[in-house]
Amino acid sequence: MVEFRIKRFDGSRSYWQSFEVPLKKGMTVLEGLLYIKENLDSTLAFRYSCRMAVCGSCAMKINGRPRLACETQIAALKSDKITIEPLDNFIVIKDLVTEFEGFFKKHERVKPYLIRDDISYESPVELIQTPEELKAYYDFTLCLKCGACYSVCPAAATRDILGPAAITAAYRFCMDSRDRGEDKRVDVILSDDGAWRCHFAAECSEVCPKNINPAKAVQKMRVKAAIKGIKRIFRW
Amino acid sequence: MGVSGWFRGVSPYGLAFSLHRITGIILLIYLCMHLTYLTSLTDKTGKTYETLISITVTPTFLPFDILLVLCGLYHGLNGLRLIVHEFGFAYEQRKAILAASVIITIAAWLYVSYVMYKIVVGG
Repeated sequence: MVEFRIKRFDGSRSYWQSFEVPLKKGMTVLEGLLYIKENLDSTLAFRYSCRMAVCGSCAMKINGRPRLACETQIAALKSDKITIEPLDNFIVIKDLVTEFEGFFKKHERVKPYLIRDDISYESPVELIQTPEELKAYYDFTLCLKCGACYSVCPAAATRDILGPAAITAAYRFCMDSRDRGEDKRVDVILSDDGAWRCHFAAECSEVCPKNINPAKAVQKMRVKAAIKGIKRIFRW
Repeated sequence: MGVSGWFRGVSPYGLAFSLHRITGIILLIYLCMHLTYLTSLTDKTGKTYETLISITVTPTFLPFDILLVLCGLYHGLNGLRLIVHEFGFAYEQRKAILAASVIITIAAWLYVSYVMYKIVVGG
């Protein structure tokens, strides 16, 4: 048996509740939560979907660190007591479910899609890209938007900022050889809640379940934005 | 989350960030005290300044001065590390650079502490 100690929230008050879960070989934290929901307390709320670390829905704080519940095996935690909390820096809706609308709005602000003026749907043209050009941004395409990076960002603890995930998405598209929208994204990065709020705690890179190094993308994007910003001042 | 969010690091980098904030706050408080101290120079006779020196440059105050030097060295060297990374350099070597900055801080602190001890206590 393993003890699941869960931080719950019913809309007005927050409290801790413990559950005893029978441990099976290879069992994940998500399976433990599903066991609780099906057998012990059906009111427990948590978010999940793919169960294979692709959708990023089940990010939660497990033993003090943001992880995906679906890929975290209970045995790997090497503890008979597991503490589960909702992600920090997000508004809790119920139990382990946090509000993600604001997070996705930030993502939307950096225009995470290819921007070109010459796309014609009447006469489409294939946009050629070499393997080297793909390599320049490929790692950053792996972001799940799980929110783990934002939840550990100390800069996001004291104010609402664009955050590592959105800036990483901006960098991913700015590095794409097919994209022509860097200027538009730089405007967002140069804004008051943009890249300047990063103080390089690098926690985002440490907790990213896909190891995509958001802190690196933020710094690279910051340099890009700084150069553009200086050029704009001098009208180059 | 609030200010407590600055001090809940999950990695050595998070700890480095927390210490950077703490040492920054200590140095800010010291700066205010130092500027207040310097206003004693407005006394043209120099008596106020000499009195303050006789109180603060003593073996009793030495441990505080030594800790202040540690704060200054850590904040400065960690700041240099951050500048390197924030210019987009050596990101992949961040673990080694963090370790190096901590080792240099401790080595410099021990040396400076020894020098200060010699000046204040003598021997």
